[in-house]
Amino acid sequence: MTTLSVRVAEVEQVTDVIKHFTLVSESGEPLPYFSGGSHIVVSLDIDGRTHRNAYSLMGTTANADSYHISVRKQENSRGGSVYMHDQVKPGSLLEVTYPTNLFAINKMARRHVLVAGGIGITPFMSQISDLNRLGYDYELHYSYRSSEHAAFREQLEEMCGDKVFFHVDSENSQLNLKDLLSQQLLGTHVYVCGPEPMVKTLHLLAGELGWPENHVHSEQFSAPPVGDEFKVKLTESDLEVVVPGDMSLLEAIEGAGVDAPFLCRGGACGRCELDVVECDGQLQHNDHYLSDAEKLAGNKIMPCVSRARCSQLSLKI
Amino acid sequence: MERGYWVRSKPKYNTLSWSDKALAHVLIAQDEGGLAQVKLLQRRCPAEPLLVLLSGDESTKKYADILNGLVPEGLSFFEDEQKMLSELKFQLEKCLMGTQFYVSGNEGFIWKVMTELAKYGVQDCNVEKELCGTLARSVYCVHCKTIDKDIHSNVYQCSSCGRNLFVRDHFSRHLGAYMGVMVDAELPGDIPVSEEIYP
Repeated sequence: MTTLSVRVAEVEQVTDVIKHFTLVSESGEPLPYFSGGSHIVVSLDIDGRTHRNAYSLMGTTANADSYHISVRKQENSRGGSVYMHDQVKPGSLLEVTYPTNLFAINKMARRHVLVAGGIGITPFMSQISDLNRLGYDYELHYSYRSSEHAAFREQLEEMCGDKVFFHVDSENSQLNLKDLLSQQLLGTHVYVCGPEPMVKTLHLLAGELGWPENHVHSEQFSAPPVGDEFKVKLTESDLEVVVPGDMSLLEAIEGAGVDAPFLCRGGACGRCELDVVECDGQLQHNDHYLSDAEKLAGNKIMPCVSRARCSQLSLKI
Repeated sequence: MERGYWVRSKPKYNTLSWSDKALAHVLIAQDEGGLAQVKLLQRRCPAEPLLVLLSGDESTKKYADILNGLVPEGLSFFEDEQKMLSELKFQLEKCLMGTQFYVSGNEGFIWKVMTELAKYGVQDCNVEKELCGTLARSVYCVHCKTIDKDIHSNVYQCSSCGRNLFVRDHFSRHLGAYMGVMVDAELPGDIPVSEEIYP
């Protein structure tokens, strides 16, 4: 996959656990333009192993001079976010993919309701830039745990004016999703990015309140869950690869030098789908892409987040 | 037509059926479309708020009379379709997310309503639609951009440019019409026999 070489121009500590990185093109050429809600995948070489993490692009979409990403240091990090926090400094060089958008605003919508939880605010930082530019009707609801976690609050107040609402767990001003969803104008679309329970609750409630599925949009970059070590045979490449417990199937395939397709690396987009030729155990599907029936059928797998509990798996790649 | 061949843009119509999760229901029908709404309401009258807008003439007013007995409130009958569409626009201003729409009538009518709904951000894939009365098509002449209504045959003469057009299955949701393409462009005068296939 073609990548862009970027240099870290600035690192800012936003909260105790969030750092904001400004990336500029290493060659000095302008970076490709992107649309609100896009993300890039950053490659990190950690102890000889390539980690690829997806991060939403923040900031104005009118600017091709720099990219902005924010990284939350994860408590159960597989290494990527800790590395970004501890090792990546101004001047560091990184390889990133071209921007991809799996979370764009729907331009047919009459109104847009954005719901962010914690670090899930990041894709909205560029979506808002699009919404403001286009003059679309929107409101943003941003939930966070306590005032120390209020990343980008001032910036949001400046960008959104009276269209932003803050909901703070510790101040008992939690967001009531049911009230929010039951009083929206016809033709509204809702977008959610945040912790899994928030995303799931919103999807469920919207369905219960008669919202069509295609009016509800969400994005989650879940890290690939850890599991047992297993072996995988790549039938087209004629290779056999061991997938350690703390490595994703996709990372192991890439580690063997196979150029496997991917986009979101979070089990959402379906780009990395591979055909399962054989599995002598159980596939562990962790994606949001395959239908329940497809998961049950067991002849497809999303290697970015899914793995297997077996001694031998064969994939067609 | 070759077996297995089909056109993706040709709309699908179903038998109207209630959405269980909807917070409100809006039923819109024209002429014979009233029958579809009778079927729907004879299944059940929902507990949620209901609005029924019907248009028709003397012969189809009977459906409104039957529906009057099935619906406690919120039913209006219009002899003028335009007046009904104006009332729909007025009501749409007040509608919230969670409102389900049920539209029945001929194809021209269904897409006239869809055009109004689209202005309020409602996508046609989320609307219950039942085709009633006739299969007559609105056809868009790709040469002169005229739309002729109530076309019953596979080949007809454009009312504006006079070209003989073949009516294709390609459908524009934006125009609410099928595509009409000159049938004798390559061999002028070689016009197939026109058959009434959209009764």
